[in-house]
This record gives sequence, structure tokens and C-alpha cells, in this order.
Amino acid sequence: MLTMTHLVALTPLILVCITAVAVMLGIAWQRHHAGTAIASAAGLNIALLSVLVIWQMGPVETPLLVIDGLALFAAILILISTLVCVTLAHAYLEKYPGPREEFYLLLLCAAAGGIVLAASRHLATLFFGLELLSMPLYGMLAYAFRERHSLEAGIKYLVLSAAATAFLLFGMALLYAQTGRLDLAGLAVALTEDPNAWALAGAGLMLVGLGFKLSIVPFHLWTPDVYEGGPGPAATFLASASKVAVFVVLLRLVLVAPAFQGDWLHGLLAVLAVVTMLVGNLLALAQSNLKRLLGYSSIAHFGYLMVALVIGDGLAVETVGVYLVTYLVTTLGAFGVVTLLSTPYSGEDAAALHHYRGLFWRRPYLTAVLTVSMLSLAGIPFTAGFIGKFYIIALGVEAERWWLVGGIIMGSAIGLFYYLRVMVTLFLVEPGMQRRDAPHDWGVRAGGVVVLGLALLVLLLGVYPSPMIEWVKLMAVAGS
Amino acid sequence: MSLLLIVLLPLLGSLVPLMGSNERRNACATMTAVAPTIALGIALAYMGQVLDGDIPRAAVSWIPALGLELAMRLDGLSLLFVLLILGIGLLIILYTRFYLADGDDMPRFYAFLMLFMTSMLGIVMADNLLLLWVFWELTSLSSFLLIGYWYRQSEARKGARMALTVTGAGGLALLAGLLLIGQIVGSYDMQVVLDSRELIQQDPRYLPALLLVLLGAFTKSAQVPFQFWLPHAMAAPTPVSAFLHSATMVKAGVFLLARMHPALAGSEAWLYLVGLTGLVTLLYGAYFALLKHDLKGILAFSTVSHLGIITLLFGLDSRLAVVAGLFHIVNHACFKAALFMTAGIVDHECGTRDIRKLKGLWRFMPLTTTMAVLAGAAMAGVPLFNGFLSKEMMLAESLQTPLLGGLSWLIPALATVGSLLSVAYSLRLVRNVFFDGPARDLPRTPHEPPRLMLAPVMLLTVICVVVGLLPALTMTALLEAAASAALAGDSPELHLAIWHGVNPALLMSLTALLGGLLLYLQRRHVFAFQRQFRPRDARLLFEMGIQLGVRIAQRAIDSLENGSLQRYMLWLVIAVLCVAGSALTQTSGLQGPLENQPLDGLLIAGAIIAMFAGLATAIMHRRRLISLLMLSIVGLMTSLAFARFSAPDLALTQLAVEVVNMILLMLALFFLPQKTPQESGAPRILRDVLLAAGFGGIVASLNYAVLTRPLESISDFYLENSVPGGGGHNVVNVILVDFRGFDTLGEITVLCIAAIGIYKLLNRLRLFMPSSDADGRPWALDHHPAILGTVAQTILPLALLVSFFIFLRGHNAPGGGFIAGLITAAALLLLYIARGVDWTQQRAPIQFQPIAVAGVGVATLTGVGSFVFGQPFLTSAYGHFHIPLIGDIELATAILFDLGVYLTVVGSTLMMLANLGKMTTRHRPSKNKEQA
Repeated sequence: MLTMTHLVALTPLILVCITAVAVMLGIAWQRHHAGTAIASAAGLNIALLSVLVIWQMGPVETPLLVIDGLALFAAILILISTLVCVTLAHAYLEKYPGPREEFYLLLLCAAAGGIVLAASRHLATLFFGLELLSMPLYGMLAYAFRERHSLEAGIKYLVLSAAATAFLLFGMALLYAQTGRLDLAGLAVALTEDPNAWALAGAGLMLVGLGFKLSIVPFHLWTPDVYEGGPGPAATFLASASKVAVFVVLLRLVLVAPAFQGDWLHGLLAVLAVVTMLVGNLLALAQSNLKRLLGYSSIAHFGYLMVALVIGDGLAVETVGVYLVTYLVTTLGAFGVVTLLSTPYSGEDAAALHHYRGLFWRRPYLTAVLTVSMLSLAGIPFTAGFIGKFYIIALGVEAERWWLVGGIIMGSAIGLFYYLRVMVTLFLVEPGMQRRDAPHDWGVRAGGVVVLGLALLVLLLGVYPSPMIEWVKLMAVAGS
Repeated sequence: MSLLLIVLLPLLGSLVPLMGSNERRNACATMTAVAPTIALGIALAYMGQVLDGDIPRAAVSWIPALGLELAMRLDGLSLLFVLLILGIGLLIILYTRFYLADGDDMPRFYAFLMLFMTSMLGIVMADNLLLLWVFWELTSLSSFLLIGYWYRQSEARKGARMALTVTGAGGLALLAGLLLIGQIVGSYDMQVVLDSRELIQQDPRYLPALLLVLLGAFTKSAQVPFQFWLPHAMAAPTPVSAFLHSATMVKAGVFLLARMHPALAGSEAWLYLVGLTGLVTLLYGAYFALLKHDLKGILAFSTVSHLGIITLLFGLDSRLAVVAGLFHIVNHACFKAALFMTAGIVDHECGTRDIRKLKGLWRFMPLTTTMAVLAGAAMAGVPLFNGFLSKEMMLAESLQTPLLGGLSWLIPALATVGSLLSVAYSLRLVRNVFFDGPARDLPRTPHEPPRLMLAPVMLLTVICVVVGLLPALTMTALLEAAASAALAGDSPELHLAIWHGVNPALLMSLTALLGGLLLYLQRRHVFAFQRQFRPRDARLLFEMGIQLGVRIAQRAIDSLENGSLQRYMLWLVIAVLCVAGSALTQTSGLQGPLENQPLDGLLIAGAIIAMFAGLATAIMHRRRLISLLMLSIVGLMTSLAFARFSAPDLALTQLAVEVVNMILLMLALFFLPQKTPQESGAPRILRDVLLAAGFGGIVASLNYAVLTRPLESISDFYLENSVPGGGGHNVVNVILVDFRGFDTLGEITVLCIAAIGIYKLLNRLRLFMPSSDADGRPWALDHHPAILGTVAQTILPLALLVSFFIFLRGHNAPGGGFIAGLITAAALLLLYIARGVDWTQQRAPIQFQPIAVAGVGVATLTGVGSFVFGQPFLTSAYGHFHIPLIGDIELATAILFDLGVYLTVVGSTLMMLANLGKMTTRHRPSKNKEQA
């Protein structure tokens, strides 16, 4: 039975949904770009505030959703990324010729999906959340549909994601047929009582479906194309909020369900983790497009994160938390710069590396943001990325998983090389070629302010991460 | 606290030069020098205390969660390095002032330099393993900035990148190693770690930890096989080479060996790994130093070689060897920095560093020549210079080593060979450049550099000579303090003196000196020998490695990620096949405890038709209309299968959904090309068929396995409670309108909102009716053929009747509001298609929005109605009524709710689909508004 407590605990989700409906009705009534953006941002901010308020409550469980530390943690990350995407989208869509307001609607729906996904304790909500997260993304990616690449990205993501979802669904069906349960807890109990190969196949297929969304090798093939083709804000959302939500639910599955902890799946996860780190980094070497490069880099980073899944003990949750925070801040910063440089919308995004040649000489602050992000992605000390990488390596060393540690080190070394390449490009002498540039007043716009703030946050988290770590620990305690 | 200042002052100092300007260079240099001078003062103030054996420590909490705290210590080892770093650093600042050309950005250089100094000081003073690592990474980063200072040169960029990649990777290995040590000891505090030698060395994780730490140290100190980055880092400005690549950064590796010596050394593994690496590096560096023609190249390889000597000394299992190693660190820093600066002066004055072009410079720059001769003599290990002392200690220690057991005589022999080579290249460096006949064809006429530029060289040379003459007086105290830190105990008694009497070491030294002279004179044989080998440039190898990586990546990208959706799908399916297939191999058999269902003719026929239709859909997919028809057969067979296996309600729903779907697909087809061009060749078709068959096989096996196993589900509960609780025999309908009525209410509300949303969002969509198909044939002029129109019109009342019937019986027999709604919607849509929007709109000007909204309203009111009877929301009641003529009928309040469902379904479906159809006509919603 739904009680008041439940409703209170679900406030953030409800607020996001209300905002989505309000935005939709607003569009139907009167189109107004800035108004829509402000309304979305306001709704998200209120939702964020409400999360902070209900943070005090203990875990609240409904039959379908659980609002515990992990869920709230993910909700915060998702809401923040969505907020960043809203501000970026506002700058980006300024000159977009078609209807602009629907983008926010899609963004809000996807955010709601992410929150549901991260809070799900039932396969039904898992599926529902995943779909609610993915469906709007099809639209967002193909939003600039007059641009061939954008349309292609949308359709590719649609078709492949549908296939992956089918596998996920089939896996769920197998698990259900095996146990007759759909809630994760019941599933776990039933599988412990009677573990067998069908459950494995089911869990394996679910892993495929979720792995696809996380673009884990070998399900990663769509990633670079889609990142490259999609409009900046959509790619940003895909790389941040979407991944956080899916990863959190995968973590939940691994922590709860014994089928995910058996030897076979464990081995599979470990192999996938190593392969993902190495392939992601290796393929990034040859990229000459920043968005594609970031795509591969995000593949590699989730390879590192999977180490936490493989090890899956108490410290793993904390590690995941810290890593997700640092990854998110950094990625948002990097994608933010790319988006701002492609702002206002004028056809294809400025993502080829040569667009960035000598950026320092015309946009020193944006360059600083991008440099900081690259350093952080490479895991250099005094940036947020270092803290994350430290946690992952510490986790691997503690569990004595030498292959994984070796993979992280190899991958990071390769990573260092191509992140440096980007950084060096920024400072090269400006060539006389045509260039794409951010508008002159980017710094005082919402998007610009947010990006600068993110860069500062990357540094702050790198120098003084203790509050963040304390917070994540709280989450990990509340979540387990 | 003032301990922390030693590190923090240079950090602040890195901001100072940025305030200076490129024009006022003297001011800029002076301002920069202030911070390190104060830091040096503080260090000197601590000196007495440290030499007495105290270890001042200071700590500030930083990130307790990681065990990382800002903890500093100043033991003898740290002090030795701090003095080196700050002292030589100050000299470098002075030298740089004159070295940088007018166009170079001086504040930037100084800022990087101070940043580097900070990180280096951090390494040597860190009292926490992790802090040490943090600074370690910072040296890599700041050295990257310094090496790449002339960022316009591709050489500099590549060298910088290589240095950072190699040392950065080594740094990560080091981190893993340090973490492991921390795990073993349970603390990252330096003192605790250094005191836990037994604990660490008896732990099974000792070997991996040692390997990882050594990997970090060896990459940083350019030991074979990681030596290749150092010569290429010479693209840096010379002050950087003098500071980083002789005195400090490359010494970080050997510093680490000294620092961790108390905890890690003493084992067989350490002896062999460190000792042999040092020996090989010593020989490798010395040999190639002899062959290089670039002045800085010679110095770089000689640095590699000398680092090898130091590593060898730390590797040898003797306490005196460690002292010798520390001594050599100091000596090497002094003479090598002096030589680098001299090389910079030569380069600066002559415009070239090629030793083949330089000759007889002593005529032009006698003072510089004197300095070079003295420093070169120190490098060669000539008696009366500091290099001689440490080298002789090295030779003496190499005689004692247990390394290689019976073959241990190899060590001193090879060490002597190394010294011999070093004599030869020192001779070559000094004689060829400064003497050897008069100079010819120099790019520029050289003369003495400014006094102040020469001053640092002079100071360093003087130190070399003074230490060489009075070793006991100058170095004993400092070395003993450093050694007691590196050995975690009292330093062995030192007898630094020039003359120890005639002993084997002296003989070896003499052999080396004479042999070196001889080798130098006969060097053309060596060159001739070397010419037989293909020159192998380490950078080329590294770049080739990178290029190879890139090429592999590119090939992988070309074959994996060519942008083809089919290819992506292929890999996805293959991955799934592997995952599910390998899971299937884990099981014993597919058959579960349940028996197979008996087969009969009907079933077989149905299955064959379904399979045939499925195949046909795939085969005919290029002709979309036919393929669509085949697909509808598959759908029909599915519905029939539901009906056959006692789920008539589901069958009915499936059927209705199929019909609506089909209509929607037809509408979409209208806007799409009629045919797909053939693109696949035979091999690809074969591949796809195999893949599809494999995948089908896996899915079928899984299905079979699941179906032959008993299943317990929640349905029993509903089956039992449907009649007593909801008054209906149609369980599905009862669930929908009664048990889970609240959910349904939510669902239809969402459906209604979604439909309105779509309706409004379609406002701006402009679709244009295609007038011809893909081949250019015009569509039939008659858009609405009479037969279809007549049929549709005839069917409409019938369909409405059927849907009413189904609606009414829904509670007990298969049917219900949802299905009835779909039937009505399908019939109306058919009419729209058959007769066109105009025609239909004229005759039935129905607005669908109110219908949908009314549906939600009715459903809600039904729910609210139960409040009137004092019941909770959506409570249902039912009863039997007798109606004349029709007979006994059972009615439940749920039927009202179902009416709401019905209305919503009809309204929403038509609102969406009919309006989509309207897009092409003048009934387009937005058009109307705009025109009006």
C-alpha cells in the first residue's frame, strides 16, 4: 500500500515528472525557448533540493522502488547532469531552425527514467526505467535530423538499443521462468536455493542488455558513431546521466543477485573489464575527432569501473560512488566545452581535432577547462580523476586482482598518450584554416558558467576530496 | 611547520615569475630566486639538528579517507637531496636568465621550473608513501611541460610526450606497488613502512610489490630497458637538461631505491633485479655515449650510464655500497650539471652541438674550456676529483659482491669496462670540442659567455675539485647522515680519502684510465664496428610502437566500426551467441521434468504456416508490402496459438493489436520507398543465414528448456479470487478493472495525455504525400478505390456491434473495454483509409480529444462513486439483474470503469492515427490555424 512516506520519498521523481508534464503542456500552449529552459532548470533544481531534504530519511521501500542511499546518490548525479545538459542545450539550440522546446521535454523524461532505473528493486521497474531512459534519447540524438550524422546516430541507437533491450527482456523472462519472481530480493533468494544454468543464461543476457547501454566491449560499437553524430547536449546526457543510472542498477544486480556472483559470470565480468579498458583506450589512439575520442575514453573508464563490479565487496560501492562522481564532473566538463564550441547550432558539431588547434590563443579559459578535464580523465594528481583512479587501483590491489590492475595501468598509460595529444593540440600555433568558435559572450551565459564551475569542481575535488568521500561513504553505508 | 615551508615556498614561488614580465628579465629572475633561497635557508637551519641524528617531521591532514596526509620529514637522505635540488636549482635560475633567447617566454619557464622544484622537494621530503607518489606524478607532469617548453618544435613535443608516457606509466606501476606495501604494512606512514622490513619481506606479496616499485624507479631513472626516453628528452632547453636530467628528476628513481632500501632491500630478488639492471645500464649507456655526435646526446647517455652505476651500488648487498651510491649521486649531480651548462654555452655561442663540427674552442673561450676540462676529468674519474672517489668506492665494492655466485668476478670486470668507456667518452667530449686543432666552419664565432652565466659552472666545478681534494672534511657528516637514513641504522664508518694505498680498486681505476685513453685513440675501430649495425633510434622505435598501435587500432576500427549498422548488429548478436551459448554448455540437458505436449495435426499445420510466414517475411523483405502481409500471418498464427493454449482473451487482444499495428505500418509504408535495393552478396547472405540459424537455435533451446519446467506464478491467486472478489469469470478483465483498477486508471490517463501530447506535437510536422513510388511510377489517381470503401463502410456498423458485444461480455467471457476499444478504432481507421480524411470528416465530424478525456473522466467518476457508499476509492460492486427478453444478466460497477477504458482507447488511438493521416491533407491542424 502506498503511504505518505512513500510519496515523500518519491518526491524527486514526482517533481521531475511534473516538470516534464508542465513543460509539455507549456509547449502545447505557447512556445518559448528561454521559458522552457528556465522551467526545466527550475524543476530540476527543486527536485535536487528535495533529494537533499529526504536524504535524512532511512531507506524507504515500495514494492517496485527502493529509495536508499544508492538511489538518492544516483538521483543527485542524474539531476546534476541533466541540469548541465539543460544549460548546454539552451546555448546550443539558440539558433536551431526547428522546434527547440521539445528537447527539454525529452531530457526531463530521460532523467525521470534514469531515476526510476537507479531506484528499481524489481525487474519491471528496471525495464521500465531503462526504456524511459532510452526512448527519449532516440529523439534527442536525432534531434538535428536535417543533419545526416544526427539522424544516423538516432536510428543506429534506436535499432541497436532495441535489439539489446530484447536480449535484456529475454534474460528477464528466463530468470522469471526459473524463479517465478520479479523482485530482486525474491529473485536472489530463489536463485540461491536453486542455482542453475538457466539462471546463468538469463543473467548473461541481462548483462548484454545493460552492457550495451554502458558500451562495454564488445557491445560498444555504436558508441563513437552515436557520440559523434548526436547533438552535443544529447551526447553529454548519454555519456553522463544515462551511464550513471545503468551502472548503478548493474551494481545493484551484482550486489543482490547471486547469479551475478557465480564463477562463470564473475569470470565473464573480469574478462569484459580488461578487454573494455584495453580496447577502449587502444581504439581511442587513432581518433581524430574529439567526440569520438571521448566516446572511447568513456568506454575505457567504464572498463575501469567494472573492476568494482568484479570485486563487488563493501569497498566496491564506495569506489563506484567516488569514481562515478569524478567521472561525471570531468566528462560533463569535457563535453560541455565541445558543446559550447558548437554553439549556437550551425550544422555538424565542431568536434574534429583540428577545430581545436590553437584554441588556447583565442579561448584561453575554455582551453583551461578542457585541459583540466583531460588531465582529470588521465588521472593526474590534484584533479578529480586522480581520486577515482586511486580508488580503483587500490581496490584492485587490495583484492589482489593482478590482471585487472595490470589492465588499468596499461590502459591508463595508453590513455595518457592520447589525452596529451588533445592537450598539445590546444596549445599549438593557430593555423589559418576556417575555425569554429564559441560565441563571444559564452562566459556569462549559463552554459559557460556551468562549464567553468565544473572545471573548478574538478580541481577542488582533486585537492580536497574529503567531503565528497565522506558523502559517498554515507551513501555506501545507507545503501548496503 | 617550517618544514612544510620548504616545499610550499617554491610552490608559491611558481606564481611569482608569472607576475614578472618578459622585458624585465633581471627582475623576473631575481624575484623567482627569492622563494628557493628562503627555502634553502630553512633547510640549512635544520641541518645541524639533522646531522645530529634527529628527524624533524611535520604533518597536516589532507585526505584521511585515502590514508594520504601532507606529511614531511627531513632525515639525512632528504637533506642531501634538498640541498642538491635547491642549490643547483638556484644556479639554474641564474644560468637560465642568460640562456633564454629574447623570444622565449621567461616567466612561463620559471613558473614551470619552480613547479618542478616543488614536486621534486615533495618526493624527497614525503613522509607518506602516497604523498611521495603524488609528487612523483607531478614531476612527470612538470617535466613534460619543461621538455615541451619549445612547443613549436615537433621534436620537443614528441620527446616530452614520450618522457611523460614512459614515466607516467611507470608511475602508475609504482602506485600499485606502494598501495601493495601499504596493504602489507597496514599504514602508509613512511616511518612505519621503513621499520617493517621483516613483515614486508616475508609476505607473499613482496615480489609483486618489489617488481612494481622497481618498475616505477627504473622508468624514472632511465634504466635499461626504459632508457630510451632520456636522450630524446634532450630536446628540452639546456637548463632543463642540466637540472632535470642530471641533478634531479632522473635521480628520483635512485632516490626511491635509497628511500625504500631499509624496507625492500636485502633479498635475493632485490640483489639480482637492481644489481643486474644497474650493471647492464652502466655498460649500455657508456658504450653509446662514446658513439654519439650530439654534445647533449653524449651527456644524456653518460647520464644513463652513471645512473646505472648508482643503481648497481644500491643493488650490491653491502652497506658501504649504499654510501658510495649516495656519494656518487652528489658527485654526478655536480659535474654533470656543470657539463650540461657548458654544453649549453657552446651551443649558445657556436650555434651547433655537433661534435664533428666543433673544434679548438679553447682559443675563443679559455675560461669555459678550463671548466669543461675540470668537470670532464671528474666525470672520467681522474684522481683528485670527486668522481674518482665514488668510482673507486664502486670498484672496491664490486669486488665484494655475492651477485652471480661463482661468476661474481664478472661484476668488477664489467664495472672496470664501464669505467674505461667513461674515460674514453669524457676524453672525446673534452678534447674534440675544445682542442684538436683550430676551429673551422663554425656557424658563429664564439666568445666567452657573460660572467654570470659562467658563474654557476664555475661554482659547481670548484665543488668538484674541493670535494675531490678534501672529501673527509666536506662530505663525511652529510653522507653519514644520509646513509643512516638509507640504511635505517648507523652508517658504516667512512674513510673518505684520496689515497688508500695500493689495492685492487686502485689498480682497476688505473686500468680504466689507461684503457680509456687507449680506446679513445683507437676509437675509429669502435665506430667502424658500430657502422655494421643498422642505426636504431629509440624514438623511432617508440614512435613505431605507437604508430603500430595506431595502425592496429585503425585496422580494428576499419573492420569493426565502419559505421555500418549491420556490422554492429552482427557483433552484438555474435556476442550474445557467445554469452548464451557458453551458458548453455554449462548445463546437462535441455529436457526438464515436464512431459512434452502431444502433437496433433492442427498444431503441426499451424506451426508450419507460422514458420513459412516467418521465413517469407525475411526472404521477401525487399518487397515491403508482401513482407508486411506475411508478417500479419505470423501475428495471426500467434493469436491462434494463444487461443489454442487456453488464453482466448489474450488471443483477442493480440488480434486487435495486430490489426491496429498493421494499419499503422501501412500508413508508414505509404511514405516510404516500395522496395529495398539488394545489397548483400552471397557470402554475406550465407553468413547472415548461419547467424540467424544459430541464434534461433539458442533461443529455441532456452525456450524449450523453460517450457519443460514447472512454473509457479501469481496467476493461481487471481484464478481463485476472480469470481468471489470481482464477480467476473474473465480473469484478465477482472484484473484490469478491479484488482488493479488503480493501475489501469493511471494507464489510461497516461495514454490520454500521451495522445494529446502527440496531437499537439504533430502541429508543426509537414508530410507531403508522395505522388509516385520509388521507380517513378505515379500512384493511382483514384486514392480511394470503391471496393475497399464499400467494404469498410459495410463493416463499420458490424464492427461497432461486435465491439459493443465484446465490451458487454468482457467481465465474464473474453473481451472487455480495451479490446472493444481497439476494434472500434480499427474499424474507424479503416474507414479513414478507405474513404479519405475529407470524406470521413464531412460525414462524421467527431472530435476525438473530448472522447478520450471523457473516458478518463468516466473511469475516475466510477472510482469516486464508491465514496458515496462509504467505500474506498474504486471499490466495485456487482449483482444479477433480470431484464425482460434478454434474460438474466450480471452487471458489475466495473463495467462503468470499463466504459471509461473503452472511450479512452478509442479516443486516443484515433486522435493519434487519424491526425497522422490528416497531415497530408488540408485538415492539417496547424495549417487551419495559420490560415484562419
